[in-house]
Amino acid sequence: MKTLFIKFMVLLSLALSLNTQTANAHGEKALEPFIRMRTIQWYDVQWSTQKFAVNEEIIVSGKFHVAEDWPVSVPKPDAAFLNISTPGPVLIRTERYLNGKPYTNSVALQPGGDYSFKIVLKGRLPGRYHIHPFFNLKDAGQVMGPGVWLEIAGNADDFRNEVKTINGEVIDMETYGLSNGIFWHIFWGALAAGWLLWWVRRPLFIARYRMLQAGLEDELVTKQDKLIGKVILIGVPLLVLGANWMTINQYPKAIPLQASLDQILPLSAQVNAGVVEVDTLKAEYRIPERAMTFLVKINNKSDKPIQIGEFATANVRFLNKAVSMPISDNTDTMIAPEGLSVDNPAPIESGEERTMTIIAKDALWESEKLDGLIRDSDSRIGGLLVFYDSSIGERFISSITAPVIPKFN
Amino acid sequence: MSANLKKQFFQPYTGEKARISRAYDYLILVLALFLFIGSFHLHFALTVGDWDFWIDWKDRQWWPLVTPLMGITFPAAVQMVMWEKFRLPLGATLCVAALSIGTWIARIFAYHYWNFFPINMVLPSTMLPSALVLDVILMLSNSLTVTAILGGSAFALLFYPSNWPIIGMFHEPVQYANGQLTVADLFGFQYIRTGMPEYLRIIERGTLRTYGQYATPLSAFCSALLCTLMYTLWWYIGKWFATVRYLTKI
Repeated sequence: MKTLFIKFMVLLSLALSLNTQTANAHGEKALEPFIRMRTIQWYDVQWSTQKFAVNEEIIVSGKFHVAEDWPVSVPKPDAAFLNISTPGPVLIRTERYLNGKPYTNSVALQPGGDYSFKIVLKGRLPGRYHIHPFFNLKDAGQVMGPGVWLEIAGNADDFRNEVKTINGEVIDMETYGLSNGIFWHIFWGALAAGWLLWWVRRPLFIARYRMLQAGLEDELVTKQDKLIGKVILIGVPLLVLGANWMTINQYPKAIPLQASLDQILPLSAQVNAGVVEVDTLKAEYRIPERAMTFLVKINNKSDKPIQIGEFATANVRFLNKAVSMPISDNTDTMIAPEGLSVDNPAPIESGEERTMTIIAKDALWESEKLDGLIRDSDSRIGGLLVFYDSSIGERFISSITAPVIPKFN
Repeated sequence: MSANLKKQFFQPYTGEKARISRAYDYLILVLALFLFIGSFHLHFALTVGDWDFWIDWKDRQWWPLVTPLMGITFPAAVQMVMWEKFRLPLGATLCVAALSIGTWIARIFAYHYWNFFPINMVLPSTMLPSALVLDVILMLSNSLTVTAILGGSAFALLFYPSNWPIIGMFHEPVQYANGQLTVADLFGFQYIRTGMPEYLRIIERGTLRTYGQYATPLSAFCSALLCTLMYTLWWYIGKWFATVRYLTKI
């Protein structure tokens, strides 16, 4: 029996070690589809480069629309933190901008608002990492933006991160305060060790228990013990207060931790700007075909004819191959290059109102776990419908939303 | 029924008995050290958690309130056992020293080598001065009531000034992104924590600061009051565990 068990454990260990794989994702698809599709709607995300060295900076920038049809089960974005998903601080964040304004804290986002962002990152640890910009939404979770693989070259020991305090002192963030902290821990640790050794040097448990039971309590705690106790009782608080007083005088300009929420207003409307109005009349998802069919009423209020070029949702882009347009995307966004079709490909003329059927069809609905929408408690879809004028110049974006009806056959 | 020896008949152990008794001391000490490193560290990580993990969580309001309150628990229980059964006034110091060892191991290996955070961003706090004072108050007073009131209060009141020499320099202001931050806040902004957005910090919340902007003393005295109660509660938890029911002869 024992031999069988050992064999089983060896085989299990071998099987587990053979199956070792690098984790290439970090839960991007774990969040419910209705949250990924109807909260932060990312677009135009760009990384300045994907190969750089320690101490070099890169920029990730882009835009996002905060969906008007924010799910009722998700708390409103009163505190949202634009973050970067990394396996620890392999990069540091040196600057971050929202609508051109630098900021460091969380912000309140407005549903229906449009924002542009820019984050400057600096290489710290060499390696190859999968990185996303994303939003931490308070009480809701993480909504990922398009990610990339970044390759950081160089030597970790070369990393420098110097910052100037208001007093003009230049500090190295990697080592600042470390030796001082270690000193105080060793100092108090030495005193504590001394106190423990003072008692541990004598017979302890059984001997002392027997003496206590025999009424020899006075011999267990001697006058010398009590004298040392009194010295500690007076000396330790004096040391604490003295060191505290010296530190207060050394850093008279110290301030409390800062805990404010940044206030940044949305840009003027970029999405749903009123030039092209879209009303989604119906949405059906045909499961066997992995196809989402929208019935939409489009009102072109621009002075140019327009065509539907793209439907984008949850970092998946369904493109209309009949409308040629530049794909400005160097991220890992999933693209279905022929995923979008319309029942009437003719341009929508200026001033025209047309009801159209649009089909977004690709296996990405399934592989990106977006088809789970039909099994969710909130089965409304959301996304960005992108129009181009016929000369492929101007772009108009509408954020659309509708309840989804599943079609099983 | 516990062992009951008479003073006039008491004979100290000698020879082989004394050597075995001493070996038993060392065995228990080593086991106790590992037990407290593991259990107190786990308790501390689960209850104080982020307030002690990160330099940008160590605020003047919640940190000095929560940390001593959760930190006095194990020391009180172990003090009860060590003092009531052995007259050893080292329970608090032993616990907190074990906690410090466990915390430093975690900060170096888990936070620095495994997750790449600079160690100065995750410097632990110290409660050793508080623990030393708690131990000597118990020894000198030999009283649960006095230790709970004076020792519990001292444990809380000494916490912030003990740690200000460590964290004070991280509260130097820095001009950053058109605003003012502390160096500690800047650590939180620069060194990316995917699962730790800024809004998660429970710092500077509530109304404790309304008394003339002095948040820390108010928090410390509030903590002192609560520590007297927490000390007593955990003393009795220690008493509950430290039974000698089965010790009939020694």
